[in-house]
Amino acid sequence: MLEREVTVINKLGLHARASSKLVQLLSTFRANAFLLGRGREVNAKSIMGVMLLAAAQGSTLTLRIDGEDEAAAMEAAVALFERYFDEGS
Amino acid sequence: MRRVVQAQGASRGLALGRARVRQSQVFDAAPELISPQAVDGEVERLHLAFDVARSELMEMRQRLQGALAHELGEFLDLHGLILDDPELLHGLDDLIRKANYSADYALRLQRDRLASVFEGIDDPYMRSRREDLDHVIGRVHSALHRNPGSDVIGLAGDVLVADTVAPSELAQLTERGVVAVITTQGSALSHSAILARSLHLPLAVGAHDAFAKIADGDALLVDGSSGEIIIEPDADDLRRFKHLQRETARDRKALQRLRDAETITLDGVTIRLFANAESRDDVAQAYELGASGVGLYRTEFLFLQGRESPDEDQQFLAYRDLVMGMRGRPVTLRTLDLGADKADSAGICVQGEPNPALGVRGVRLSLSQPPLFRTQMRALLRASAYGKMNILIPMVTCREEISAVRQLIARCRDELHDENHAVAKQVNLGIMVEVPAAALALPQLAHDCDFLSVGTNDLVQYLLAMDRGNEALARSNSPLHPAVLRVLQNILKFGQRRGIPVSICGEMAGDPVFTTLLLGLGLRDFSLHPSNLLEVRRRIRDVALSDCQRLCRRLLAAKERGQMERLLHGGAGG
Repeated sequence: MLEREVTVINKLGLHARASSKLVQLLSTFRANAFLLGRGREVNAKSIMGVMLLAAAQGSTLTLRIDGEDEAAAMEAAVALFERYFDEGS
Repeated sequence: MRRVVQAQGASRGLALGRARVRQSQVFDAAPELISPQAVDGEVERLHLAFDVARSELMEMRQRLQGALAHELGEFLDLHGLILDDPELLHGLDDLIRKANYSADYALRLQRDRLASVFEGIDDPYMRSRREDLDHVIGRVHSALHRNPGSDVIGLAGDVLVADTVAPSELAQLTERGVVAVITTQGSALSHSAILARSLHLPLAVGAHDAFAKIADGDALLVDGSSGEIIIEPDADDLRRFKHLQRETARDRKALQRLRDAETITLDGVTIRLFANAESRDDVAQAYELGASGVGLYRTEFLFLQGRESPDEDQQFLAYRDLVMGMRGRPVTLRTLDLGADKADSAGICVQGEPNPALGVRGVRLSLSQPPLFRTQMRALLRASAYGKMNILIPMVTCREEISAVRQLIARCRDELHDENHAVAKQVNLGIMVEVPAAALALPQLAHDCDFLSVGTNDLVQYLLAMDRGNEALARSNSPLHPAVLRVLQNILKFGQRRGIPVSICGEMAGDPVFTTLLLGLGLRDFSLHPSNLLEVRRRIRDVALSDCQRLCRRLLAAKERGQMERLLHGGAGG
């Protein structure tokens, strides 16, 4: 099991579009993935779960991934956060 | 047996078709147990319904085209993800296998569980995500109740009867040959209604008892103007329908001959017809029909369609396309007119306002978010180099707001100049007159304005203190009130006296019933949806201004609504 802190740095936060990208990305991996933040723990492969976190710009979340391809999944997910979800800013 | 349901007309046109009822029964599916032997079949039925819903979404995704394709596509992708969401699927089979619930009830339990989580969050954005969830579950539910292969939204010759209809569905409905839509909720001022009118799809809204009275397969005669719905019409109804249908066809042909005609009254006064345009199609149609320009382009649709605010370049390209599309004819773009009642998905709006219609909206919102407003203004000014552009500010209440916008324009102009962007020398600035305070303080406000545009939808709402979306008030919520007429007359007279052009861009301007009245009040610039342009042009060509003025005097003297309606329908000659 891997755990990493990620910060939401894109301007719009984890609204629908960014959430969709994260869910789509993680769903290509076999490992289970969870996001923890604001006192909640949600399934990071669930679009409704991720949207419910309503994480705004600046929030810090914990990403927990567990499964055979966890390293690759973590690397890809962290990169997506760091790329501002390809939203430019 | 002939029966009648009275609804409100929202998009005119007569249609005869067979009812196709789409009731979202999932939300009140009753607890229903199935026998243990039926469990496997029930689970399979549910999975099949998910498969059908999935392929429907995919098919819709592939068929998308045109101006809204990108934005609608993102909605459909989101719905696709919800359909595959482990939170939705998890435990659903167990509800059938272990608790022996029917697929309907299992679906309802899952939906209620998820919806309650969304509802716990007080945020309009999250509440609208719950609607997404409901749409998806509704789609699965309707797939449970029909033979594979038939269609959820209706086929050629159908009248769709539903609780609501999404703007994104409408284009597909017409394409499939659905002849009319009846909704139990909704208002004539909703975005769906505006879209239905531009698609010429008859629509009746607020038909509260439609589900109780209409059954699948009933023959329905729908009048989208009066909102009258006749179930199982009799021989007289059918004769009347045939007759009206022939008349409508003749009428359309006659209208088409007016494409190249001048807009001029019988006594030789030229009137200018501008278009309210949202999409490229609207703009192309406006140009073809000889509109004098675009009188209102609502920039908020750019913001409402996407999942995030468009950046400067995206806005610039959209505005530039619009300006170039009119090939030199003037184009009036209204800056962002959002409010909590018209919230975007990017979260620009102030949330949780107790009274959004009176809240931080229009220019108030723009001025409270300087970076957002500056981005829009820069995009607008850059596009101004490609044609003749006017900028219109919504919801203006006081002069300070106009000064602030003027300062912003000056600042953006300097920046753009330093960055070597071209900007037109002359960009006129006008205000929407829709807040009663603005209408009453025009001498102070108009000093800084190059033109005025009257938004009658909001002006009427604020003058009468009647929410335009409230169905219960829909019948009294009309411009036919002495106060409204007097205020309109004052604005138009003020414009004439001071040489400031005044146009009206509310729904009223596109309704031929009001054309003579508006001419009589002194209106010379109409701004209306292109689908109404020819009809209003014909009305103008049929009347003399002097008759309109006489009618107007009588209307202003009328004591009650009934009398006003009789005068109006009697026409200018009466």
